[in-house]
Amino acid sequence: QESVDPQKTAFLLRKSWTLYSVTPMYRFRRSCLREYARLLSASIAAEKQKGLAVEVGTELDVRVALSSLAELRGSELDDAALLVQLSSRSKASSRNSEDKLVWSGWFCSMFGDDLSENLPEDFTSLPLFLSHGAESYTALVGSWFQKTFDCCFRRLAISPQNLSWMVAMWAGCKLDRAASAVELVFSVPRLAQPLDISYAIHPEDAKALWDTVQKTPGEITQEEVDVFMDCLYAHFHRHFKIHLSAAKLVKVSTAVASAHCDGTVKILHSQYLPGVLMLLTELAISQIQ
Amino acid sequence: MDETVAEYIRRTVLKIPKDEIKMMLQKWGFLSEAQLQALNFHQIKDNISQEVVQLCEENSADIKQAALLDIIYNHIYQDKRVWSVYQMKKSGEELECFDITDFKKKFKRQIRSALKNVTITFKEYEDNAIWIRVAWGTPYKKPNQYKPSYVVYHSQTPYVFISASVIRSNMPLLCQALIVASNYHDIREMELRSHSLNSLKDIVFKRYSQNFQTNLTKPLQGENVEPEIADIRIVQENRSEKERIYRLNQEIFGSGPQPKLEFAQYRLETMFKSDPKLDVLDKKEPFRCLVKFSSPHLLESLKSLAPAGMADAPLSPLLTCIPHKARNYFKIREKKGLFPESFASP
Repeated sequence: QESVDPQKTAFLLRKSWTLYSVTPMYRFRRSCLREYARLLSASIAAEKQKGLAVEVGTELDVRVALSSLAELRGSELDDAALLVQLSSRSKASSRNSEDKLVWSGWFCSMFGDDLSENLPEDFTSLPLFLSHGAESYTALVGSWFQKTFDCCFRRLAISPQNLSWMVAMWAGCKLDRAASAVELVFSVPRLAQPLDISYAIHPEDAKALWDTVQKTPGEITQEEVDVFMDCLYAHFHRHFKIHLSAAKLVKVSTAVASAHCDGTVKILHSQYLPGVLMLLTELAISQIQ
Repeated sequence: MDETVAEYIRRTVLKIPKDEIKMMLQKWGFLSEAQLQALNFHQIKDNISQEVVQLCEENSADIKQAALLDIIYNHIYQDKRVWSVYQMKKSGEELECFDITDFKKKFKRQIRSALKNVTITFKEYEDNAIWIRVAWGTPYKKPNQYKPSYVVYHSQTPYVFISASVIRSNMPLLCQALIVASNYHDIREMELRSHSLNSLKDIVFKRYSQNFQTNLTKPLQGENVEPEIADIRIVQENRSEKERIYRLNQEIFGSGPQPKLEFAQYRLETMFKSDPKLDVLDKKEPFRCLVKFSSPHLLESLKSLAPAGMADAPLSPLLTCIPHKARNYFKIREKKGLFPESFASP
């Protein structure tokens, strides 16, 4: 797996991305990116004319840029990632010609051959979509892609099981500098007074625990994840007599990345970017299938 | 009237919800009844506050009056702030009569001896509470009226409740002034913090219904112990277990309302222990964790965990000790010796 150039992917880090699964796109041509940008731009302008909910200043001119990120892919079988950026330039201050990035979204496939290998030729498989910026722009961009390439976007839900997998995997990552705590956030909503529990473990201790649980390096099994989580639950129960396993795991956070059950993710470390994207691609594909 | 005072009054009035402004100005008592009658309280808040400033100008308000209005606002909206609890210690058994004038004089003198640029305001309330507002400056700058510290002192007790501003560096001076003024010799911060000032008072003044040890295994005559089964789908249930949980909860938490806390934090430095069959971590060093519980009403929430099947009954003493230990911040280490399952909380 080719290592990713940190400079090119710096824009991905430390931002909260909202996740979607996207079904394969029909007749998407990599050579027509500029044309697509023009069409998308016109579509956005038309929607604004109609007065549909775009919460920006009325005089803003939105420019669209589409580009390929060849580095962001797992193997040659993956299509290169596609980046969509919306910038605005205020008509009022035309002498200051600096564009301000107001929204970005990108399509990606990291080892997504499960989906792509059986596709007919005219289809492009980029099952994972990540957006950052106003929801209204996401809706505009999404609906244009859906209309133009006959695909379907769906918010990606991340289940507690997925979150457990993520926290176990990321807690075990080796990091060269001081890491932040491994934090699990649980919610017990159905009580008369709702309760939130944050359980943060020193990263060295969490990694030490995972290292003794994981039997084969480079490979993670569901059983190992379950043992890891059971250990954490047991330690908690020993102190508080509370069954954390009965609560809802809603968020996990580590020095590598953090993820929330409502389908948002933040990637903090470029070294593990491909691993995180691979996991998310897998989630997106299983939501599609 | 000083421009900064005018602006401060204007901003303070703007904070007040529109339908409470008249009441608060009346409590303040600085504007005359006639002036209050003349005020139009039906215009937009911006205009109301401008009018109030004009009236204050007529009455030549200074920072003292403005500070008093701020205390009144914060007394009513005390739950917007986070309060910490401090306990003072006397060196001997001296029984002294508390003299409020003496207290104020000593307090002001102590603070002013270290820092000239301060605004100090007092207000006494019916429940023997003395509210103190201190706006802090520096040797070169006038006091920042927008980030004051608030102190609530009940003179019949050794407890002080402080909602400090961001400027932690003024805390030692504030603490020193308090013990000098109240004739104590030491003060320490308790590990107890909450938005609900009244609940903090309930806890340290022991005004809540406390747990009591009971030897009763049967419910009192006429008392309905069995909680209602709200879900009609539950037909057959382990009734005795449910009763046991309910009874334990009553014993531990008491039957009255719990003091209102929003969070509890535990820094765990205990050993990780596991089933040897699992063949996992067996370190000689502590498994370091930080656990935070948060809820709009934490103690009620914890009380409902066992009945909901989320926790064992009795609940862990680490949680149930919160009110009577008067703390919601803990550092837990392993207790050495006979009882490996128990913990030491310094």
